[in-house]
Amino acid sequence: MHPQPLVRLTDVARTYPLGRVHVRALTGVSLEVSRGDFLALAGPSGSGKTTLLNLIGCIDKPDSGRIVIDGVDVTPVPLHRLAATRRDTLGFIFQTFNLIPVLTAYENVEYPLLLQHLPAAKRRDRVRYWLEQVGLSDQARQRPDQLSGGQRQRVAIARAMVGEPKLALADEPTANLDSVTAGKILDLVEELNDRTHCTFIFATHDPALMARARSRVRMHDGDIVTEPRLEARAS
Amino acid sequence: MLIKLALRNVFRNRRRSAITLLVIVFGAVGLILFGGYKAITFRGLRESTIRDRLGHLQIYKRGFERAEAKKPLEYGLDDVAQLRRAIESDRRVRMTTAQITLMGLISNGDKSETFMATAVEPRRDRAMNAQRLVAGTNLPDAEPDAVIVGKGLAASMHARPGDYLTLMSTTTSGSLNAIDVRVAGIFTSGVKEYDDRAIKMPLAGAQQLLQTAKVERLLVLLNETDDTDAVRADLDRLFARKQWALEMKDWSQLATFYHQVVLLYNGIFGFIGMVVFGIVIFSVANTIVMAIFERTREIGTMMAIGTTRTSVWRLFLLEGLFIGIIGGVAGLLAGAGASGIINNAHFMLPPPPGYTQGYPLRVLMQPGILITAFLVAVITSTLSSILPALKASRLKIVDALGHI
Repeated sequence: MHPQPLVRLTDVARTYPLGRVHVRALTGVSLEVSRGDFLALAGPSGSGKTTLLNLIGCIDKPDSGRIVIDGVDVTPVPLHRLAATRRDTLGFIFQTFNLIPVLTAYENVEYPLLLQHLPAAKRRDRVRYWLEQVGLSDQARQRPDQLSGGQRQRVAIARAMVGEPKLALADEPTANLDSVTAGKILDLVEELNDRTHCTFIFATHDPALMARARSRVRMHDGDIVTEPRLEARAS
Repeated sequence: MLIKLALRNVFRNRRRSAITLLVIVFGAVGLILFGGYKAITFRGLRESTIRDRLGHLQIYKRGFERAEAKKPLEYGLDDVAQLRRAIESDRRVRMTTAQITLMGLISNGDKSETFMATAVEPRRDRAMNAQRLVAGTNLPDAEPDAVIVGKGLAASMHARPGDYLTLMSTTTSGSLNAIDVRVAGIFTSGVKEYDDRAIKMPLAGAQQLLQTAKVERLLVLLNETDDTDAVRADLDRLFARKQWALEMKDWSQLATFYHQVVLLYNGIFGFIGMVVFGIVIFSVANTIVMAIFERTREIGTMMAIGTTRTSVWRLFLLEGLFIGIIGGVAGLLAGAGASGIINNAHFMLPPPPGYTQGYPLRVLMQPGILITAFLVAVITSTLSSILPALKASRLKIVDALGHI
């Protein structure tokens, strides 16, 4: 195993203004995530799961503490200068899929590769491969509004994975899906984790998803109450 | 990809885009129609000013412009025959005609009025087609005491063709002289104030009244107005070579009214342009702002997966540009169609202030006007998306992703 963790958070705090009061979303969280991990962030609403994901995903900045992603301290770097890190190192899977409505499934998956300025032939091969991986080769030309919820989330997963990220972040990836579809999505994500060794961190309420996580972090009131530990994955 | 995205986004909310495009199309059509109307008005006014009244060039004896003459025709031209031969040998010159302008009193025996007379060479003056006869005949070739009288002055003098009137003026030696003239015809120039005082008479009659053989000026009429500067330069060289003490003015230096009209119309055109500019700016900016509001989460997603701020800015700028291009092209087509309809409908406009006759409404389709209308559409549309696009690129990703 790689000796250095992929993600290291040291005493990270984040406070949000909410009207006249300030809400402490994170209160000095420290966490290490190993490469290839399949980590669930669990906890009730408002416990700080999404805030933690946002900070790891380099789309938000902490008020204090330090965040190191893949050996790079991203804490002092302004967010707009982290676009390349997000593009090359991270993949995002959103609860509401967040596909670009005017692009087809193929074009949505291709989009990150265009940002990476990959040559056309490589792009085509990579997009076809990932659409096949998520079982949507036949729906490549369809736009998001012509796809079911499960299919949209598959496109979103293909979009997150096509750039070959080291870390995929998913915020409640199954929350908008029925249980059968959610199960299939979990199978897919788990399989990808096994096959690509891409690290997955997901925030979830879903007991099924938590049960399948290799590591679990339980959060409460902006702090971690259970340290991550490697567990035998539920069969 | 940005181009593809921008184009598809333009057609995403079709109703809103259609309204924005309609605003741009109306603006472009307005610019094309008014610009075309302005162009044809300028051209018509310029050519009528030159061919009816001023000629392309006017030649005087040196000193005519600066000196205050103590007596009539003190700075008149003595011998125009030699000058005329030299000028008319140029193929670009259509003809020359000599003129005298004079003022005096006109009387029918019962009452007197002031008159302003232009003395002309009848045959050559007819080629200039300066006025429209409303009664009688034009100036005959060989009748020095025949005149044609402006409509208002004829009415004031109760004169009809065939009547006799008396003209009185100061001679070149400073004494008073009077001659009887026959009213050959009554004319209108279209300008009431001018018709109330105007007389046209043969050069020979005016020379008899003023007791001189001189003429005041020689008008040069060219085949093409565009040759004015070149012919003027050649004539300047000719005068210098021949050591003729002459000076010259071109039509532009003399056409005060034309320049006032140009200034006025350009002012109106500029104002309309600004109004169109403002409407397009606000309309497109509104469309882009609404699009940004609706697509906030999408922008957040794009930035989260690695799209840079600059790319987001470019995307919305491109959307503004495409709206402008589509609106501009549609505006050109609609403007061309509207111009064709107007030109074929033969609408008549009422007489302008000071005129007695209406004139047909026509629109000139000039490449310059079409290009201007297109560029105004594209540039205003693009400019108006700069700030909203900047706002989109500055969105906080977390806030944008949480936007509902």
